[in-house]
Amino acid sequence: MSELSRRAQPIVSGKGTPVIEAVNLTKRYGDKTAVDDVTFQVMPGTVTGFLGPNGAGKSTTMRMIVGLDHPTAGSVTVNGKPYAAHSAPLREVGVLLDAKAVHTGRSAYNHLRAMAATHGIPKRRVREVIELTGLEQVASKRVGGFSLGMGQRLGIAAALLGDPKTLILDEPVNGLDPEGVKWVRTMVRYLASQGRTVFISSHLMSEMSQTADHLLVIGRGRIIASGPIDEVIGSARQATVRVVTPDPDRLSRRLREQGGQVTVLEPGRLEVTGLTHVQIGEIAAADGVTLHELTPMNASLEDAYLSLTRDEVEYRSEMMTTTDPTTDRATAEAER
Amino acid sequence: MSAHTSDRAVLSPQVEVKPVSFPRVLHSEWVKLWSLRSTYWTVFATLGAMVLFAVLIGLSANIEESEAAADGEMAIGIGYYFAQVVVAVLGVLTITGEYTTGMIRSTLAAVPARVPALAAKAVVVAAVGFVLGVVGVALAYLASYPFFGEDAAPLADPEIQRIFWGTGLYLAGVGLLGLGLGAILRHTAGAVTLILGVLLMLPTLWQLLMSASDWFLTSLPYLPSLAGERIATPAIADTGAEGIQALSPWAGFGVFMVYVLLTFGVAALLLRRRDA
Repeated sequence: MSELSRRAQPIVSGKGTPVIEAVNLTKRYGDKTAVDDVTFQVMPGTVTGFLGPNGAGKSTTMRMIVGLDHPTAGSVTVNGKPYAAHSAPLREVGVLLDAKAVHTGRSAYNHLRAMAATHGIPKRRVREVIELTGLEQVASKRVGGFSLGMGQRLGIAAALLGDPKTLILDEPVNGLDPEGVKWVRTMVRYLASQGRTVFISSHLMSEMSQTADHLLVIGRGRIIASGPIDEVIGSARQATVRVVTPDPDRLSRRLREQGGQVTVLEPGRLEVTGLTHVQIGEIAAADGVTLHELTPMNASLEDAYLSLTRDEVEYRSEMMTTTDPTTDRATAEAER
Repeated sequence: MSAHTSDRAVLSPQVEVKPVSFPRVLHSEWVKLWSLRSTYWTVFATLGAMVLFAVLIGLSANIEESEAAADGEMAIGIGYYFAQVVVAVLGVLTITGEYTTGMIRSTLAAVPARVPALAAKAVVVAAVGFVLGVVGVALAYLASYPFFGEDAAPLADPEIQRIFWGTGLYLAGVGLLGLGLGAILRHTAGAVTLILGVLLMLPTLWQLLMSASDWFLTSLPYLPSLAGERIATPAIADTGAEGIQALSPWAGFGVFMVYVLLTFGVAALLLRRRDA
């Protein structure tokens, strides 16, 4: 993987001219900030995962990219222009926002035909995307009776109508059964293999590791981390070592001096981060401390994700404390 | 798995994609309208109501032979009243159906300029309203003809011709008003209640309030439905019992179109500004 060897610049993934570029993108609903001063780029040919817990601002960001929601501040462009400025937007970007962006009373075929008509896309292409997404059997049925999986296939079919080089998929596997999940993953890999850029959101780190090569992590409307997926996970993964010793006080002191973070789980049982098990063993030996157990523990993907999000929560509460005096002053001035 | 078996499909050398244009958006809206069952129900209900009331007028004319009896002109000039309810709902549903199902996001993603999508819906709704009105009156004429025979409305009469085309124009306007209000409220029940209230209840309300203030008396003919329906109904020979001066057919229709245009102005502005 050449991606790994290359040093990633912050908030940039891949190379070339960005396909999607958000600059200081902000969206507020009343006093609630859904997307908070977000700047990022999605580079051509990448599968960029947009990862974050539910309510972190993923869908809002994606809706702003395709001009459905208006940013409160900042801007976002697709292939160098605002989405709405393109004369044939379906040619630039295909978007799957959610399975329910379809009139339930219309058949899948007629839905696609109506969408295609806006761009003069021939019926032949409508049949192609139906075939590509395996909807032949249900194309003439009304969408209201579709399963979630069929609805997602229809959404992807609609996104592919204009044969766009870029696809935006919002939580395409959410709520799907295992077969549906597998189908979407295969489809995403297939589309990526054709050199298309895929910007795909999920709240599951494991899902991202299946499909994405780049990662953009969002929490509470802010970008927490970005870059090639291995780097993002690697930086978030804090290897933990479990140590059992009859002399915890002395060992803790020595480990802290060497730059480790020590958590006392119970008397004699420590959890150490910031030092490898080799380093801990050597420090213990040099100091003559007996060890009963020395176990390196690998953080899982989900642990890494949680640690990323937890940092954001802490960061934000810290921010609130520091800004409090200013707010107070502003309030006091307003009252005067 | 289709993703593997049909590689050719997505790799077809070039997919023909043209810039979005108004005729293309219009085509899309036309496809949308005729791919919903509700449209067919609307057509049958409108035409059915117009024929039914022509027949009922015909029957009543045969029963009472007094001078106040219904005539052939009335038989073709009454259907609009019931047809307007159905056409108003069609206008509302054309847009609120997209909001309630989420389809509007697909529509606006394909037509990000937004207003052309609303304008295309307007053209489609107006065309359907107009054709329904004209065809409905024609069917009403045929259905009532056996009852009146020689007393049937004279087709060559300019006033009868005005009722023919005027019913089409009024129903087109009613459909547009429904579409505009639907676009503003984005909610089916709310918009249907509002437009039926405006068309059917407002005149009654005004008549109740007349005794309270002369203003309600003088403004009564300018209410949307009372102004608009003048184009679709037989001429009123003299002023009403309480001295209300009804508007002339074309002046009334003009006033009605002002309401329609104002509604559309607001709808277009909100469509551009609001999040979808």
